[in-house]
Amino acid sequence: MLSRHAEDLYWVGRYVERAEDTARMLDVTYHNLLESPGDGAETTWGELLEVLFVNALYTGPLESSAVSSYLVADRTNPGSIISAVERARDNARGLRDRISTELWEAINVFHLDLARADFHIDLDRRAYEVFRSIKSRCQLISGVAAQTMPRDDGYRFMLLGLLLERAEMTCRLLSVRYARLAGGNGQSGFHAWVSVLKSVSAYEAYLKAHDASLDPTDVLQFLLLDQEFPRSVLYCLQQVERLIERLAGPSHQASMERAVGRVRAHAEFTDIPTIVDGRLDPFLEELQREIYEVSDEVEAHFFRAGTDLQLHFQRWA
Amino acid sequence: MGSFDEVHGPDGVRAHYQALMNRLAEIGDAELADRLGLLDSFFRTLGITFAVTGHEGGLERTWPMDLVPRIIPPDEWSHIESGLVQRVTVLNRFLDDLYVGGQQAINDGVIPRWLVESADGYVREAHGIPAPRGSRCVVAGIDIVRDDEGTYRVLEDNLRVPSGISYVLENRVAMTRILPVGFASHVIRPVDHYGASLLRALRAIAPPSVDDPTVVVLTPGVANSAYFEHAFLARQMGIELVEGRDLLVDDRHVFMRTTKGLKRVDVIYRRVNDEFLDPVVFRQDSLLGVPGLHGAARAGTVTIANAIGNGAVDDKGVYPYIPALIEYYLGEEPILPNVTTYLPWEPDQLEVILGRLDQLVVKPVAEAGGYGIVIGSAADEATLAATADALHSNPRGYIAQEIVQLSTHPTFVDGHLEPRHVDLRPFVLSGDRIEVVPGGLTRVAMRKGSLIVNSSQGGGSKDTWVLGNGGGHAVTPR
Repeated sequence: MLSRHAEDLYWVGRYVERAEDTARMLDVTYHNLLESPGDGAETTWGELLEVLFVNALYTGPLESSAVSSYLVADRTNPGSIISAVERARDNARGLRDRISTELWEAINVFHLDLARADFHIDLDRRAYEVFRSIKSRCQLISGVAAQTMPRDDGYRFMLLGLLLERAEMTCRLLSVRYARLAGGNGQSGFHAWVSVLKSVSAYEAYLKAHDASLDPTDVLQFLLLDQEFPRSVLYCLQQVERLIERLAGPSHQASMERAVGRVRAHAEFTDIPTIVDGRLDPFLEELQREIYEVSDEVEAHFFRAGTDLQLHFQRWA
Repeated sequence: MGSFDEVHGPDGVRAHYQALMNRLAEIGDAELADRLGLLDSFFRTLGITFAVTGHEGGLERTWPMDLVPRIIPPDEWSHIESGLVQRVTVLNRFLDDLYVGGQQAINDGVIPRWLVESADGYVREAHGIPAPRGSRCVVAGIDIVRDDEGTYRVLEDNLRVPSGISYVLENRVAMTRILPVGFASHVIRPVDHYGASLLRALRAIAPPSVDDPTVVVLTPGVANSAYFEHAFLARQMGIELVEGRDLLVDDRHVFMRTTKGLKRVDVIYRRVNDEFLDPVVFRQDSLLGVPGLHGAARAGTVTIANAIGNGAVDDKGVYPYIPALIEYYLGEEPILPNVTTYLPWEPDQLEVILGRLDQLVVKPVAEAGGYGIVIGSAADEATLAATADALHSNPRGYIAQEIVQLSTHPTFVDGHLEPRHVDLRPFVLSGDRIEVVPGGLTRVAMRKGSLIVNSSQGGGSKDTWVLGNGGGHAVTPR
């Protein structure tokens, strides 16, 4: 397929996942702080901005209403939900022939909802419902895509973007929150772990797999390496590896396949208990770097054909 | 001066319209009004719209289709069809003569060189670009009108990037859904093979060395007013719809960027105008084109359709010479005559024009879409004076024609049927043969008495039925 279409679909996947992750983390943070307000608020909001990579851009006060509005509805924030959905919609508009009408409608309606004039009022008054509706609209989009798109390369590129974004986000979340998690104990440590799990929709799944004692090693094991939980980093990377294999077909691209194999194996063969004391941080950083490498390889290989050519064409005189 | 009515003759409803008019009477106006509402929502849901130019922010309207189809009986159609094949054969022949032949028609004095070379769409850089099979007008849209005696005449040739075929196909689909009973008791020639026919024509003009050519549609992008049609055609043909940035030229070969690497492109059905095709040769500020594309076309490694430079021949100033060119190349009388035209750059004709300015229509040669036209009988003194000045100072910029009272056709307006003026744009394909799509786009001026049918100026359209028993719609060129 055309590189431009593939790239646009890949970014639809990334933007939608980014919007959903942002909404979920906002939701969890917001409600944790409602339940246990206190001096931790500023730190918590600061951390959230850091997870979302916009801490350097944000100049407002570190309190819930300002940060929420910045992360959800601020068009000057390139990482805001409204920016992500707008770009997903722009991409989808040029892909009308490549995506199902149902998928286009789901994205377009989401965009129209965020763009309506009184959206700000809702965000102020009913933040919880706004976050919920954003999450469910994102889930609707991935659900509609799964139900209506043929399993062709276009679908694979969209999924690839979504999974890379998800793996990256989970790593960042653990990395930023880890300092506090490692230091905390008793009641506050417990709440922090619960909020991390909830931030990736993993709390219920975790309780089923383990138990409510929330052993930090088990939580890390679960979020990083669980074989069955669809948001664990390893699960995403395994899917990414399979997708890349299918997309590359017989034209093996050694550097891309090496990059994804390396990060998948790195995650898969890491023994969490041995690194949980003191070596988790460098491990997560390394993992993130390797995930970026995969993204770079994907973009270079699938979307940039011909850019390395020294073009020469004759001018007619 | 009366107009020819397509439906009502001197002895009542013409034979080929009787079944349809009876049906419409049975259905009744109230029911028709209901169906019209259905039709609008049909087009809106599908997103079939076009942009109206001259409005702030690019106003989008749904495609206005009238409920009453236009019917062309078989004998009239075969007359039109043979006239179109004759005309397009000659248009291709003359373009090839001009750009890669010996310019024999010019050298033999059939048409003045200065006139052709001063045409807005004449492209010096197109000399030497080969066109396989001489098919330079792969898609031609020939505008036909009917005068007060019912004679079909050619009003205009559109040989660059004529649009409208998607509406022909969508109109037919809409009609079968909204007014299925209308179709009963008629044998109507289908139009839905257009995608297959166009692809066949495009494959036929691939560079001769290519066995299994890759064909693409090149669009300026989503912002273009005809983007819907570009996407529609790519879908109908099952080929890629590309933008300039999807293509690159290396060593005089064209490639598209795909996820599996670079893929050779052999034929480009472009919907981008000449001046935007290649920033190396034409407009340097063009972001829509592909650097080096012109060089690849000259080298013959890729075929661009329609060919570069076709605008030299659909210029309104060249139009009056087409009958002579038909005579010159084929030794035949034109089957479809032109509208009587006067040339302001000929001093004696300029005098005739100025003397009868209030009875003629004056058209700028370089404008399309019905813009800049002055209809003498409807113009005030000031406009006529300004037109006379313009004719004096820039005679090559205009032509003058007898006003053709376009034929009228019953049209559903304000809840009942009223006559409105119509024209017809059939589409003619040139590949390994010349093929005319049965019917074409009938455009209708929705305003009472108006002769301007262009959709950009509030015109509508009609589904156009060619009656017959199918078969034999391809004609071998001579």
